Amino acid sequence: MDPIGGMKIWRVNLSRQSLDIEDVPETWQYLGGRSLLARVLLDEVPPTCEPLGPLNKLVFAPGLLVGHMLSSCDRISVGAKSPLTGGIKESNAGGSTGLHMTNMGMRALILEGQPTQPEWWVVHLSLQGARFDPADDLAGLGVYETARVLLERYGKKVAIALIGPGGEMRLASAGIQNLDKDRVPARINARGGMGAVLGSKGVKAIIFDDASGKKPPITHPDAFKQAQKAYNQALMGHPQIAIYRDYGTAGNARMCDGFGGLPTRNFSSGHFEQVEQISGEYMREILLARGGESEPTHACMLGCTIRCSNIFGGEDGKAIVSPLEYETIGLMGSNLEIASLDTIARMNWQVNDLGLDSIEVGAALGVAAEAGLFAFGDGERALELLDEIRRGTPLGRLLGSGAGMTGKVLGVTRVPVVKNQAMSAYEPRAIKGTGVTYATSPQGADHTAGLTIRAKVDHLDPIGQASLSRTVQINVAGYDSLGACTFAGFGFAAAPESIRDLLNARYDWQVGTDILQVLGREALRLEREFNRQAGFTAADDRLPEFMIHEPLPPHDAVFDVPDEDLDEVFNWL
Amino acid sequence: MVVEVHLHTTLQRVEMGRDRRRLLMELPPGSTLGDVLSQLEIKLEPEHLLLVINGRSAEPEQPLSDGDIIHLIPAISGGS
Repeated sequence: MDPIGGMKIWRVNLSRQSLDIEDVPETWQYLGGRSLLARVLLDEVPPTCEPLGPLNKLVFAPGLLVGHMLSSCDRISVGAKSPLTGGIKESNAGGSTGLHMTNMGMRALILEGQPTQPEWWVVHLSLQGARFDPADDLAGLGVYETARVLLERYGKKVAIALIGPGGEMRLASAGIQNLDKDRVPARINARGGMGAVLGSKGVKAIIFDDASGKKPPITHPDAFKQAQKAYNQALMGHPQIAIYRDYGTAGNARMCDGFGGLPTRNFSSGHFEQVEQISGEYMREILLARGGESEPTHACMLGCTIRCSNIFGGEDGKAIVSPLEYETIGLMGSNLEIASLDTIARMNWQVNDLGLDSIEVGAALGVAAEAGLFAFGDGERALELLDEIRRGTPLGRLLGSGAGMTGKVLGVTRVPVVKNQAMSAYEPRAIKGTGVTYATSPQGADHTAGLTIRAKVDHLDPIGQASLSRTVQINVAGYDSLGACTFAGFGFAAAPESIRDLLNARYDWQVGTDILQVLGREALRLEREFNRQAGFTAADDRLPEFMIHEPLPPHDAVFDVPDEDLDEVFNWL
Repeated sequence: MVVEVHLHTTLQRVEMGRDRRRLLMELPPGSTLGDVLSQLEIKLEPEHLLLVINGRSAEPEQPLSDGDIIHLIPAISGGS
């Protein structure tokens, strides 16, 4: 019996410009997305290797449920050894790449090797094989223009994963961008410098052409349909869905501020006096009033019923950027004391076009403001600094190398990073469970690795936060292995047996209801092992010193979860 | 006593065609968070609400003091 329905590993070697299509090794067969790429990296990449050198590999792995337009379940995991953290990295995005990969029968795509000449290539993948098209003419082009040219060149039906000038410069904050369902290249594997790794392999873009492809087979279609129905009903009946549909993630701005956990002026306060002007509620009002191309409700993937995304239009109704998400609003808004959504949207467009992570760059700008490089609140100067990145000046490259590097060079010690990766827009001194996640996740500070803000606990109390973070970290590592969006979790949490039933129907497996946690634990185990071999110790599982000692207004909170609790997060290993 | 109430996302009130999400409420001494919920006729069950007083998660029974800042957030655990 073939337990994965004939899907294969596609291996592209950039040194030889070759493609091999291989059977999936037995130990990889029950894994997908985040857990699969952790297994591949641990098996094939020396953990001490140079992240931008020829020994590192970049892995694209759709989750186990990708390919069936199950609402919010077509996500793609991209991973490699991170040039930002020096550890393992999985970065997750929506868009159409995952769906095209499974239509082509790809369980995972592994990019390895490195060209010897400094040339740029477009890797074209189709059922006819791989083609390596010269792409020096695209070098230096922004993400939006590159995507436009590529869609013209390769047709409108392809999926594309591409980098911008940031990835070409191998900046540690560079991401990989994917097309959304409307072919806008803004679904980003943003975190941890995956775009720099793709750039180090001389690849400007990968084209996934699924012509003549077909949906991956389902062993028991009726059972699948039934499980899908149970999941959809649970998802659509969930009260949280209407909130994300109408307000998107931007609804979190006032929530975080209400908890005293909205990063403000380089993580020196948890309350932003002008939170109203950057709130999701206000954003919805102005988008509805502006009309035109503005849309407060927009889907990033085909078949998504949540539609938490948006198109942010300016006063003239013309789109400035899509989407504008809470984490960008926090890091480029309150964190820089910029209270104008229009300015934040313009900055977001620039960062997207450069192909960078808006969280990392926002945090780097906060550190730069603290160092006196520009005044908090000066949005125009912040935009000029983004232009320095585009021009590749030393200052621009510094900012594009992330908050940690910026702090070191500019002599700032209030630097909100763990494992050299910037924190997202949830202050860990006020939301302590998320602080535990930042400290201990093998991914570095990353809210998507285990956000605890929706739990009904006293977020200021250090007691119990480690165990809360453990539960959430395991669950999200499971969702990342399924290809499920974190918001799909609302449906799965209400109908947990549907995960088991979907997997068993799809693959003819006999997994139990704990499969989400089984996958999550395995992903975390493999990631921890990779990092251990890369030289990480418990000392790396800590928040920056200032957060232990410096009281955060308005609650004068410090991060006081004991080190012993942090060291117990992975207590099953 | 007077408390400041912040209504989040779907709990905003529409007044004169505009959303209103921050209000001051005058309450008799001894009032609780539950009194605020019933006075505002909030239909969501408490388990579908994050109740926050002065930055800390709270329960409906919690008594209020003058100047308290209250956030009522439609959300429940799960998801991430």
